[in-house]
Amino acid sequence: MSERLLRFMASRWTRLVLVSLLLLGLQTTVLNDMRPFEVMLPLMLLFAVAAGTIYGSEVGAISGLIIGVMYDMVLSTPLGLASLVFGATAFVAGMLPYFIREPTWWTRALTIGVVGALGELAFPIAQSMVGFSGQLQPRVIVVIGLVAVAGTLGAPLLLLVCRWTLKETLVG
Amino acid sequence: MALLALTSIILITLDLQGSSATRALRSTFGTIFRPIESVTRVVTRPASNAWYGITHYNDVTAENELLREKIAQQEGAAVAAAASVRLSQELLALNGLPTLAGINSVSAQVIGDSPSNFVQSVEIDQGTESGIKVGMPVLNAAGLVGKITQVFANRAVVMLITDPQYALSVKIINTPKPTTTTLPLQDPATAVTVVSVPETIDPQVTIPPVAVTSNIAGFTPGSIVAPRTPIISSSLTIPPGSNVSVRETGVLEGRGAGRVPTVRFIDTAQRFGVVQAGSPIVTAGGSLSLAPPDIVVGTVSRVRERLGTAGPLLEIDIVADLSNLSFVRILLYQPITERTAP
Repeated sequence: MSERLLRFMASRWTRLVLVSLLLLGLQTTVLNDMRPFEVMLPLMLLFAVAAGTIYGSEVGAISGLIIGVMYDMVLSTPLGLASLVFGATAFVAGMLPYFIREPTWWTRALTIGVVGALGELAFPIAQSMVGFSGQLQPRVIVVIGLVAVAGTLGAPLLLLVCRWTLKETLVG
Repeated sequence: MALLALTSIILITLDLQGSSATRALRSTFGTIFRPIESVTRVVTRPASNAWYGITHYNDVTAENELLREKIAQQEGAAVAAAASVRLSQELLALNGLPTLAGINSVSAQVIGDSPSNFVQSVEIDQGTESGIKVGMPVLNAAGLVGKITQVFANRAVVMLITDPQYALSVKIINTPKPTTTTLPLQDPATAVTVVSVPETIDPQVTIPPVAVTSNIAGFTPGSIVAPRTPIISSSLTIPPGSNVSVRETGVLEGRGAGRVPTVRFIDTAQRFGVVQAGSPIVTAGGSLSLAPPDIVVGTVSRVRERLGTAGPLLEIDIVADLSNLSFVRILLYQPITERTAP
C-alpha cells in the first residue's frame, strides 16, 4: 500500500498536477495583472506545448489534457474546451521530430512560440464552435504575435521546468 | 489523441447541459485552488505593483488630477441628483411601479479577473450563501457592470457587459436637437421661419415684420401700421410636461475586449428623432428583461448610420470602469428568463 502510494506520489503525472497548480496560481495572479499591450501571456498553454516538444505527441496530449482541465476550472467557458485546445496543441507540438530530426534548444523554443500562438488562436475558434462566438476579432493578431514572442523568449525556462516535471523516475 | 478529444467533448457536453457533476467539480477545485492562489498573490504582489508602477504611473497621476476636478464639479450636482432620485422613486412607488430602491442587494468584492484573453468576466467573493443566483444583475457605484453567470457557495462569476455573449434591452433617452426650416412663401420678404423639433418640443413661429411698400404720393411707407395677417396661426396648446426627453428601446450587445458595446434595433421614428451623442442609456426593464428598469448603463458615444431599415447602430461609453472594479453590488433580482425549475 505504502509502496503504491509512494509510486503514485513520485509519478510524473502527480508532479505535473502540482506544478500546474503553481503555474495556474501565477496565471491567475501576476500574469493576469501584468498584461503587455492588454494581452495576457498564456503560461499554462505554453507549458503544455513545452511538454509536447520535449516528450512527444502522446505525453504532450495527456499533459495538455490535464493542464487544460485545470485551466478550465477557473474559466467561465465550458469545461473541456481548454483541455481540448491544449491537448491538441501539445499533440501538434509533439510532432516536431517528424520535421526536425534532432531538435536543438532553439528549434524547440521556436516551436513553443509558433505552436503556442496557434493554440491561442485555436481557443476563440473553439469557443465559436460551441456557441461562444464574437471573440475572433482583429485583436487576435496582436495576441498571437505577443504569445509567439513570449513563448519563444520564455521557452528556455519552460523547457527546464517541464523537463524536471515530466521526467521518468525510478519509482514512478 | 482520439481519447483526448472524446474526453474533452464529453466534458463540454456535460457542462453545456448544466450538469451538477461539473459544477461540483468546479466548486471543489475552487476550494482547493483558492489558498494556492491567495499565497501566490501575496508572493507576487511586489512584482505586480512594480509592473503597475512602471506602466501606469503617468496615467494614475493624470487620472488623479482629473478625478479631483470631477469631484469638485460633481459635489453640488450630486446633492440635487440625490433629491431628484428620491423624488422619482417616491413617485414610482406611489404609482405602483418597480424601483431599484425596492430591490435588496448584496455587496461583494472583486477577487479576480478572468485569466484569459477571450473571456470578459470577473470573480466576486459572494455566492449562494448570500442569496446570489444565476442571472442577477451586478452594478457598481457608477452603473451596470454585468450579470451573474456561475455561482458557487461563496463565490460567483460575473459576465461583464463587454462580453459578446451579453445582451440586454435598454432605453435611450434622447433629447432631439431642434431643426430650423424655412418655408418658402410667395413673397420672400414674408418668409416664415419655423423652429421645429419633433412633437415634444414647443414649436415657435416667428413672423418677421411685413415690408410695406406704396406708390401713393406723399405717403411714407412704414409711417402707419400695416395690417398683418399671420400666415400660420400658432394658437397651439402644448400639454404641460410635453417637453420631456423621448425614449426608445434597443438591444445592447457586448463586443469583446477593447471594443465598446453597441445598441441596435433602434426605431428611427419621427417622434424619436435623430439620436444625439451623449444621450444616456438605461436598462429597459420589463418582465423578460435581465435587469430591472432604469439602471444607468452609459451614454451614446457615436451614432453609426446604416442603410435601409436596419436603423442606426449606437456605440456606447459605459459609465462603469470595467478595467478597475473593486466592489460591486448584486441586485437580488432574478429575471424570469434565468430561473430554472427546482
